[in-house]
Amino acid sequence: MSTATLTPAGRPDGEPAAPAPKGRQRILPPPVTGQEMVLIVVIALLWLALSLATPAFFTSGSIVPLLVGMTPIALIGIGMTIVIITGGIDVSVGSIVMVCSVIVAQTMVGSGLPLPLAVLLAVAIGGVLGLVNGVLIAYGRVHAIIITFGTLNLFRFIGLQVFDSSTVEGIPRTLNFFGRGEAGRTLGIPHSFVIMLVLAALVWWYLRHTAGGRHFYAIGNDQQAARLAGISVRTRVLMAYVVTGLLAGLASCFVLAQGTSSLAANVGSGLELAVIAAVVIGGTSIIGGRGSVLGTVLGALLVQTVATGVTQLGWRSQLSDLFVGLFILIAVGADLIRQRTRRAS
Amino acid sequence: MSARRHRATVAVVGVGMALTLAGCGQGSGGSAGSSGGSDGGGGGGDTPSIAFVPKLQGIPYFEAMNAGGEAACEELGCEWLYQGPVEADAAAQADIVRSFIQQGVDVLFVAPNDPDSMAPLLQEAADAGIAVGTTDTDAPNSVREVFVSQASTEGIGQTLTDQMVEAMGGAGRYAIVSCGETAENLNSWIEVQREYTASEYPEVEITEVVYAGEDQAVATQMATDLMNSDPTLTGLVGECTSSAPGVAQAVRDAGRIGQVSTVGLGTPNSIAPYLEDGSASSSVLWDVEALGYLTVWAGMQLAEGAEFEATNDVNSDLSAVEYDEETKTLLLGPPLVLTTENVGDFDY
Repeated sequence: MSTATLTPAGRPDGEPAAPAPKGRQRILPPPVTGQEMVLIVVIALLWLALSLATPAFFTSGSIVPLLVGMTPIALIGIGMTIVIITGGIDVSVGSIVMVCSVIVAQTMVGSGLPLPLAVLLAVAIGGVLGLVNGVLIAYGRVHAIIITFGTLNLFRFIGLQVFDSSTVEGIPRTLNFFGRGEAGRTLGIPHSFVIMLVLAALVWWYLRHTAGGRHFYAIGNDQQAARLAGISVRTRVLMAYVVTGLLAGLASCFVLAQGTSSLAANVGSGLELAVIAAVVIGGTSIIGGRGSVLGTVLGALLVQTVATGVTQLGWRSQLSDLFVGLFILIAVGADLIRQRTRRAS
Repeated sequence: MSARRHRATVAVVGVGMALTLAGCGQGSGGSAGSSGGSDGGGGGGDTPSIAFVPKLQGIPYFEAMNAGGEAACEELGCEWLYQGPVEADAAAQADIVRSFIQQGVDVLFVAPNDPDSMAPLLQEAADAGIAVGTTDTDAPNSVREVFVSQASTEGIGQTLTDQMVEAMGGAGRYAIVSCGETAENLNSWIEVQREYTASEYPEVEITEVVYAGEDQAVATQMATDLMNSDPTLTGLVGECTSSAPGVAQAVRDAGRIGQVSTVGLGTPNSIAPYLEDGSASSSVLWDVEALGYLTVWAGMQLAEGAEFEATNDVNSDLSAVEYDEETKTLLLGPPLVLTTENVGDFDY
C-alpha cells in the first residue's frame, strides 16, 4: 500500500523512490515512535503556551539557558538509554559526575589546565569508572541496580576524599565554552547543546541501523536468547556502562561550566534520578528491550521546560516536582498498556 | 551514678566498631578515657571535652567553625571534638550525637538538622550529665542550656534588605532565590525582608521567592528565568551559601552586570570572584570562625558552671557579646558585610 502511494509521487520529481524491503520495515520501529510524537506535541504546546503567557519565554535570553541547562541530563541520558535498553540501570552516574568534576576543578585551579585537556581528563576518569561498573555487571552476575548502588557509594567516597572536607574555590573560566554565557555560544547557538545533539544523533543512528546497535535490544528482550544467537552479551553490556561513564565525564564539564566559581561536595547528587526520569519519560521501557535516544532528549527537554515555565510563570517551585512525577507515571503507564496490548495480540 | 558510668563504658565498647567511621575511633577512645578518669576523680582540674556536631561535615562554613573552635580550645584549654554527617541528614546526625553521649563528653553542642527530633536526644545527653547547647541553628523546644546565635533574624533580614536596596539605587523590584523550602532560618529572614522592605522602602518591591534546594545550577537557572520573565527586575537576593554565587553567576552569564544587582549570604571565597567583576555587590554573613570561638567559650562557661552576664567580654574581638536571659541566647553580634574591600581578609 505504501509503495503504491510513494511510487507515483517519486516519478514526477525524476527521483525514483526506493522503499526499503518490507521485512526490514517490520523489524525496525518507526523513526519517531508514538510516545516521541506525543512528547514533541506536548513540548510544542508548552512552548506555545509559555510564549503567550510570558512574552520573555521565546527569546534567546531564555531559550539558550534552557537548552544549556538540559544538556548534562540529556548527555548522560544517552548512555543511560543504552544501559536501560539492555535491561540494566546505572544509578552511580551522579557520583561519577562528582568524582570527575572535583578532580577536573582541582586540576584547573592547581595547574591552569587548558580546555581540551580538561575535557580529556574528565572523559577518561568517567570512562574508567564506567569500566568498573561494566566489568562488575558483565562478569558479576548480580543485577545492575545492586552493583551500581554499591559503586554509587564507592565513587562518592572517592569524591569526598578528593574534596577533603572543603570546597574547590576560584575555578577558572576555562570551561565557559560549554556554559550559558557569551563564551558558550557561536552565532547564538550554545556549543554544549550542539555537542549533545550530535552525540545523540550518532547513538540514535547506531542503535537503530547497525547490527551491533540492535544487539543491545536483543539482550534487553531476552539475554539467554541473545547469547544463543551468538551475541557477545558481556562485551555489549560492558560497552553500555563504559559509554555511560564517558558521557558522564563529559557531562561533568558541562556541569562545571554551568556552575559557579566554587564547587561543593553535593555536586551531582540526585542527578541519577533526573536522568532516569528523562529516559523513562522518553518512552524507553524500564525493563529493557525498547527505547530510543530521541525520546530521552525530548524527555530532558520537557523536564527543563517545565522547570523554566514554573519559575517564569511565578508558580511555586515545588510544582515542577509534581509535574515531573506525573510525567513519569503517565510514561510508565503508557509503557505498561503497550506491553499488554502487544502480548494480547 | 556509678551504675550509669558502667553502662556508658559498656556502651562505648559496644559501639566502638561503629565509631571507626571517618577516623573518629581514635578520638572516641581518647575522650571517653579522659572524661571517665576526670569524673572518677571528682570532676577535678582536667580539661573539659567540648564536642560539636554540625549539620554536615565538609562544607567550608562548618569547617571554618571547626577552625574557630579548635583555636579557641587551644587558647582556653579544652579538648575539641568535631564530627558531623556527610549529608545534612537528621538520622545520621542523631547517630553521631548518640556516640558523643556514650563517650561521655563534658559539653555537647549541636547545630540540628531537625530541631524537633534532636530535642529528645539532647534530653538524653542532659540526663547523662552532659551540658548541652545549640549553635548556628537552635532547637528552641529542648533542654539546651544556651543557644549561640550567629546573628539575630532581624539583623540578617534587615542588613540583606539594606544592602540590596543600596545596590539597586534605592528603588525597583527584586526577587529572592532561596534554598530549602522548609529551612526555618531562611524563611524567617525572608519574612523580615518582606516586612522591612514594605515598611522602610516603599519604592521597592519583592516580586517572587523561589526555592532552588542546595543546588547551585538550579539556583543559577532560576535566577536566569526570573530575569527573563521580568525585564524590569533590578535585584536578586541569594538567600543561602549556594544560591548567593548562583544568582551572581546568572547575572554574569546573561551579560547584565550593572543592570541587575545581586546580594546574598555567600562565604568569602565563593563570592570573591563575583564581587570582583561586579556581578555581586555585597555578601551578608557573620564571622564564622568567631562563631566557633564563641561556641567554645560558651562551652567553657557551661563546664565551669559559670553564669552568663547580660554583656560578656569574651576576648578583644568579642568584647561585648550580649546574652538574652529569657531565650538563653548568646548573640555573636551584628552581621558582617563582605565587599571587595574586606573579602580578602577571610579564608573560607
